[in-house]
Amino acid sequence: MIFETFRQAIQNVWSNKLRTFLTMLGIIIGVMAVIVIVGLGNGMTKSMRDSFSALGTNTLSIQVWGYGSRTVPVEEMYDICQRHSNLIKAVSPQVNFGGNASGTLKIGTTSYRWSNISGVDENFTEMKNYQIVQGRGLQYMDMQDNKQVCVIGDYLNRVAFGGNGVGQTLKIGANKFRVVGVLSAKVSDPTMQQGSDDDCVYLPYTTVIRLSSQSMVDCYTAMMADESLANEAKTTMEEELMSILKSENGYYVYSASEWLEEMNKMINMVIVILTGIASISLLVGGIGIMNIMLVSVTERTREIGIRKALGAKERTILAQFVVEAATTSALGGVLGIALGYVMSMVANRVLPMFMTDTTVTVSPSFNSIVVAFGISVGIGVLFGYLPARRAARLNPIEALRYD
Amino acid sequence: MSALIEFDAVCKYYQMGDTTVKAADHITMKIEKGEFVAIVGQSGSGKSTCMNIIGCLDVPTHGTYRLNGRDVGKMNRNELAAIRNEMLGFIFQQYNLLPKLNLMENVEVPLVYAGISRADRHVRAREVLEQVGLGDKLKNRPNQLSGGQQQRVSIARALVRNPPVILADEPTGALDSHTGREVLGLLQQLHKQGHTVVLITHDNSIAVQADRIIRLEDGQVVYDGDSHAPEAMVQPTLLPETPEKEEQA
Repeated sequence: MIFETFRQAIQNVWSNKLRTFLTMLGIIIGVMAVIVIVGLGNGMTKSMRDSFSALGTNTLSIQVWGYGSRTVPVEEMYDICQRHSNLIKAVSPQVNFGGNASGTLKIGTTSYRWSNISGVDENFTEMKNYQIVQGRGLQYMDMQDNKQVCVIGDYLNRVAFGGNGVGQTLKIGANKFRVVGVLSAKVSDPTMQQGSDDDCVYLPYTTVIRLSSQSMVDCYTAMMADESLANEAKTTMEEELMSILKSENGYYVYSASEWLEEMNKMINMVIVILTGIASISLLVGGIGIMNIMLVSVTERTREIGIRKALGAKERTILAQFVVEAATTSALGGVLGIALGYVMSMVANRVLPMFMTDTTVTVSPSFNSIVVAFGISVGIGVLFGYLPARRAARLNPIEALRYD
Repeated sequence: MSALIEFDAVCKYYQMGDTTVKAADHITMKIEKGEFVAIVGQSGSGKSTCMNIIGCLDVPTHGTYRLNGRDVGKMNRNELAAIRNEMLGFIFQQYNLLPKLNLMENVEVPLVYAGISRADRHVRAREVLEQVGLGDKLKNRPNQLSGGQQQRVSIARALVRNPPVILADEPTGALDSHTGREVLGLLQQLHKQGHTVVLITHDNSIAVQADRIIRLEDGQVVYDGDSHAPEAMVQPTLLPETPEKEEQA
C-alpha cells in the first residue's frame, strides 16, 4: 500500500514535468541558498580558526601589573607553572619595548613595520615549537647579562639578510642587536609570511626591560598542556594570581581559544540569521507547493470521488496527496543540494578574485545537506497537508458529479 | 435471515433555505440476494439519492438502511469506505475510469484499497478483464477504447472484489443502443451467475430487462413488483396525484 502510494505520487509528479519543476523552484533556490550560506559559514569559521591558531589557541597571555606593593616576580610565575604542570606546560615572559626604547625595526635602510618584536626567555622558542636552523637560540646567560642579541624568524632572514642572518646586526629604535640564530619557518607559503609568526625578532627579556626602563615583567605567554582544558588553565592561573595580588585589578589572563570561541559564536549567529533569511525562500517554496496541490486537488476532484467510491479511506487519500507534495519538495531539495554544491564550487573559484587577502572557502557540510533534505521533505508534508486534507474530506457524491 | 438490502422508512431530507427538500421520503423495500432489480424514476424522483444510499456513499437522515444485516446509518466515513470496497461494485454512466492508469491498473484499484498483494492483484485483474472480453488490452489506456469497451472495464472493476451487490447507475446512458444491449446482456449474465444486480435508470425499456421494478416518484415508492406487469410501465404523468399518507409504511 505504501509502495503503491509512492508509485502513484511519482507517476503524477512525472506526468506534469514543467509544472512540477516550477513548483520546485522555490525549494531549489531555498535549499541552494542555505547550503551555500552554511558552507560559507564553515569556511569563515575555518579561516578564523586558522588565523587564531597562528596566534596559538593553546597559549595563554598573562598580564601582571601588580597591585599596590604586591608584585609577581618571574620566578614566582615559573613556580606556578611547575605546580600546575598538568595544565600549563611552560611559561615565558614576553615583553615589548616601551618608552624611549620603542621604535621600528630597521635592517640596513629598510623598515619592517609588521614584525613582532618581543623580549622572551631562553625556553620561549622551544615552547612555541620553533627550531633553530642557523646559529644558536637565546640562552640563560643572555638573560643574566642583558645581552643585546636576538634570534629572527625565517621571513626576516630570507628577505632582509638574504638567508645569512647570523652574525649580522639589526636596529630597533636607537639600539643595535646582533643576530645569533635563525628560526625554522612556520608558514609554508612564502608570500603569506609577512606579519606572521615568521616575521619576528626575539630578544632576552631582561635586555628589553633594562633598555625600556621597566621595573618588572608585566606580560607572559604560557603554553597549555591540553587545549581542551583551556578554561581550567585560565581559571587556575587567575586563582594563583589572585592569591598573590589579592585584587582582580592586578592581572589579566587572556586565552586565544576563548576568543576563538567568542568569534565562532558571532559567526554562527550571523550564519543563523542569514540562513533564516534564506529559509524565507523555503517558506515561499512551501506556499507554492501548497498552491499547486490545491489546484491539483480541484483538478482531480472526480478522480478522488472515484477512488472513494471504490473504497479509498480518508487517510489513504490524505497519504496520497501528502506523499505527492513531499515527493515534489524532496526532489526540489535534491536538485537544490546539487545546485548548492555547484554554486559553492563556483564561489570558491570566483571569491579569491575579489578578496585576495582572505582564504575563505565555501565548504558545504554533510550535516547541512541532511538537514536541507529533511527540511524540504518536511515542508512538503507541512504544506501538502492542508490540500491533502481538503481532498480527503471531499464528499464522494459531489466529487463524482464534478466536471 | 434478513434481506441483503433492507430499507426501513429511509428518508433523506435536505435543507434548502427555508424549505426542506425530501429527496427520499419513507422508502421501505427489501432486495434479496440474487435478485435483479431496476430502480426507475424520472429525474428528481429520488433514484439517485436511493442509489447513493444503497451504495453507502450517503447515509439516510431518518430511517434505517441495512446492508447484509449491518446498519449503515451508524457507520463512520472510514467504515463506509471499507464497506463500499467489500460489498459493492459500482458501474457508472460515465464509466469513471482513471485516465492515467491502464486497464489492469484501473481494475486493480479496489484491490489496492483492500490491501491485496501485487501478485494476487495481477492474477485477479487479468481474470475479470478476460471475463468481460478485454484480455488482449490489459496495458491499454481507457481513452484508447470505445465507450462499450470502457463500460466493460468498469464492469470488470465492479466485479474484481466479487462483491455481493453490483450497483449500475444508468450503465447504458452514454452508449448507443447496440452496445447498450451488450452491456445489459453482461449484467444479465452476472445475475445468472448469482450476483445481486441493482440497476438504476430512467428508461423503461432498459428497466424491463430486470426481473423486478421499483418505481420512485417524488422520493416515494409508487410501484414495486414484477417488471412484466402492466402497472410497472405506468407513465408517471398519467398517475393521479397520490396522497402522501398512502405511501407511508
